[in-house]
Amino acid sequence: MGLALFTILIFPGFLFVSVFGLMAEFFDRRIYARLQNRVGPPWFQAFADFIKLLGKEDIVPCAANEKMFDFAPLFALTSAVTVFLYIPLWKAPVTFSFNGDIVMMLYLLTIPTLAFFIGGWYSRSLYARLGSVRCVTQLFAYEVPLFMSILSSALLANTWELKEVAAFYLKHPLYSLFNLVGFFVSLIAILGKLEKVPFDIPEAETEIVAGTFTEYSGRRLAILRLTIDVEMVVGAALLVAVFFPFALYFQSVLGFLVAVLEICGVIALLALLRTIVARLRIDQMINFCWKVLVPFSLFQLLLNLILKGKLIL
Amino acid sequence: MHHSSKFKIPMGPQHPALKEPESFSIALKGEKIMGVDIRLGYNHRGIEKACEERTFVQDVYLIERVCGICSHSHSTAFVQGVEEIAGLIVPPRAQYIRTLIGELERVHSHLLWLGVAGHEIGFDTLLMYTWRDREIVMDILALLSGNRVNYGMNMIGGVRRNVTEEQAQDILKGVKTLEERTKYYIEVATQETTIIKRLSGVGVLKKDDALRLGAVGPTARASGVEYDVRRNDPYAAYAELDFNVITDTNSDVYGRTIVRVKELLESYKMIRQCLKNLPNGPIAVKAPRKIPAGEAISRYEAPRGEDVHYIKSNGGEKPERVKVRAPTLANIQAVKHMLKDRYLADMPIVVAAIDPCFSCTDRLVSVKGNAGKSKKILTWEALRNYSVEWHQVHGIDFTELSYKFRTKMERF
Amino acid sequence: MLNEEKIIQDLCGKFKFLENQIKATRPRRIFLEVPYEHFMEVFDFCVRQLSFTQLCAMSGLDDVEKLSVMYHLAQEGGIVINLKTGVSREQPVLKTVMPYFLCAEIYERELVDLFGFKIEGLPDGNRYPLTDDWPKGEFPLRKDWKPFDQKKA
Repeated sequence: MGLALFTILIFPGFLFVSVFGLMAEFFDRRIYARLQNRVGPPWFQAFADFIKLLGKEDIVPCAANEKMFDFAPLFALTSAVTVFLYIPLWKAPVTFSFNGDIVMMLYLLTIPTLAFFIGGWYSRSLYARLGSVRCVTQLFAYEVPLFMSILSSALLANTWELKEVAAFYLKHPLYSLFNLVGFFVSLIAILGKLEKVPFDIPEAETEIVAGTFTEYSGRRLAILRLTIDVEMVVGAALLVAVFFPFALYFQSVLGFLVAVLEICGVIALLALLRTIVARLRIDQMINFCWKVLVPFSLFQLLLNLILKGKLIL
Repeated sequence: MHHSSKFKIPMGPQHPALKEPESFSIALKGEKIMGVDIRLGYNHRGIEKACEERTFVQDVYLIERVCGICSHSHSTAFVQGVEEIAGLIVPPRAQYIRTLIGELERVHSHLLWLGVAGHEIGFDTLLMYTWRDREIVMDILALLSGNRVNYGMNMIGGVRRNVTEEQAQDILKGVKTLEERTKYYIEVATQETTIIKRLSGVGVLKKDDALRLGAVGPTARASGVEYDVRRNDPYAAYAELDFNVITDTNSDVYGRTIVRVKELLESYKMIRQCLKNLPNGPIAVKAPRKIPAGEAISRYEAPRGEDVHYIKSNGGEKPERVKVRAPTLANIQAVKHMLKDRYLADMPIVVAAIDPCFSCTDRLVSVKGNAGKSKKILTWEALRNYSVEWHQVHGIDFTELSYKFRTKMERF
Repeated sequence: MLNEEKIIQDLCGKFKFLENQIKATRPRRIFLEVPYEHFMEVFDFCVRQLSFTQLCAMSGLDDVEKLSVMYHLAQEGGIVINLKTGVSREQPVLKTVMPYFLCAEIYERELVDLFGFKIEGLPDGNRYPLTDDWPKGEFPLRKDWKPFDQKKA
């Protein structure tokens, strides 16, 4: 019981993920800045921002539905943190897992987006409402290729349990090379989930101010921003666990370090992607997801089905 | 929000997409723009009236402050008008120096625009790169005039500072770097898919619409209107320079981008010519204090388009009337047309594509309040100390912390 | 100077009263004043026949005995013709030139706000450039107008 609580609250649960998330934000921003020929923030910038926001005045617009406005950030954060508990990254004493957890994880990752939608919608600002609608519209576009490419990897492993998927690829590392298309598709789709360029349409600053978050301030904004950071870590960790779970190969501390390195590598790739492109329009984004990403993930699915046939034979 | 219902979304007076306060009220249906209502005038400062109450010499400096970016454009347009009324023959060296500064200003304005355009479509990397390079031309301007934006180079009858041989060498060096970088940006702008996707087909202004709506500058030239005051109504040293008027037939935001980046290359060419052919001789003639009665209309191709000044003198020290028509005022009609049936996401870049400068546009009346008497002028440092003290009185003291922070930051 | 001379000849040929009224101050600059009763004809002639297809600006002028407007029209070749016309202070009514130039709208609003002109045929719309709560009957660019204390007003 004690150990479980420790796992949930401290390591690798809430506290660890939060700190890791804030550090990841720094890492992401630093790489982004260096790629843009800037200096970038110091390592404590994300913490300083977070603490500063906690101390700021927290305003609830009088037209807003206070309960919804309040709960949305908490829902978003908890569901994002929960996912991390299920991801087998290194050889940990306690891991939660069951058959089908990979599907549950993907759905838990959808909750933050829905929470953003609810929070934005009930803050009753025009900008926030536009942002919310864009948020959900976008969800339907990137979710499909993301699910398809992640699940096709699981399909090859012939299990719906992430632990088993990881174990499979650990046993047959060469098979993960076949999943590269799926990896890149989900990498791009994750950018939509994280609302980063080119898919930062729901919070496109020059169009709708801060989009969904326009009315949020102080503590609630701090939580929302933390949620996005955590989502980034969780998304990257999920990709690592599904496609390259090689940290499990090593012993505890070394394994942990390798896992962190792998996650940082994925975050660096995300930063690189968002450096070299401009923001798309919502219609272009949906077209891109359905006409480019989905065919690629279908191809991945087909490839894995063929491979699987060979495997059984 | 039902996609069938129409609602109005305010953009401005304060909005992240706008760098200056103006109000666009946009009627939306879903993501589609159904109509735009533009309210200008938030930056009305009464410069035209103020000019009438000051002498010609003072007005040169006041006019320079109409706009932060095209300050040299406005002051040149003004002094040219006054010189025309007074019948002053400006020495050729001064004409060349004016042209030189004018082209450097165009380079700095176009690079600024390119960065802003990048930011409006969410491509911040372009913003960071172009603004880094813009520092080169800002340094050159500071080297020549001592200032980064309001150069104070013009005076009635000539220019105030000379250009030395060493300075010319420095400029050539800077221009060389800039030219390489600009070529790279042309490559980026013509090859990067997301940029092309966001820019082409957006904010279309056909050639006859551009003529009908009176668009000027790069906005008109991108619609295939071959019109440039530097060519059609030459002033300063432009009649003696060899340059091309850049036009494009894309008629959209993409075309406007192409026109501006190509104009950068033309500017570099002109800067080189100016320095090569810089005539010797004085840089100014003495101007009379009283300008004889008369009137003049002076046109100048500012980076954003044609800048028109009308000046009337009644034979005294002060002008009878000064009228400034900034390029944005001519282009604002076109914006309404360009936004028709577009998406909300296109709005920032379409507005930015005319390179709007609302401060130029608005100018005019200030109302003197009685606050003038109790006004206290604080320096930046004094203002900072005032705020620190104010917070200390209210029980917030950051002295210790800020010291620590500063030492920490110095290590980075 | 050829083009300018031809334009002046054309104008004088068409409108006899303009004889010796037209000044060419320098190459590419023509100034003339037209009484308001003939203004629209001259304006129409300049735009339609002499192809002055660009409206550069409209400058309001307070000539004390009357209020005037100067229309700065440009040709593609760079020639600018400055048509000045005046109306009485008490009845400063002008016809809009928006049928010729759509961009005249904002210039005409400026004349309304700053000089107190009345423009016939100008569609309803936002005022420019003064604030919505600007007091009635105050026209800042008229010569008899002095800056006043807004608080007392």
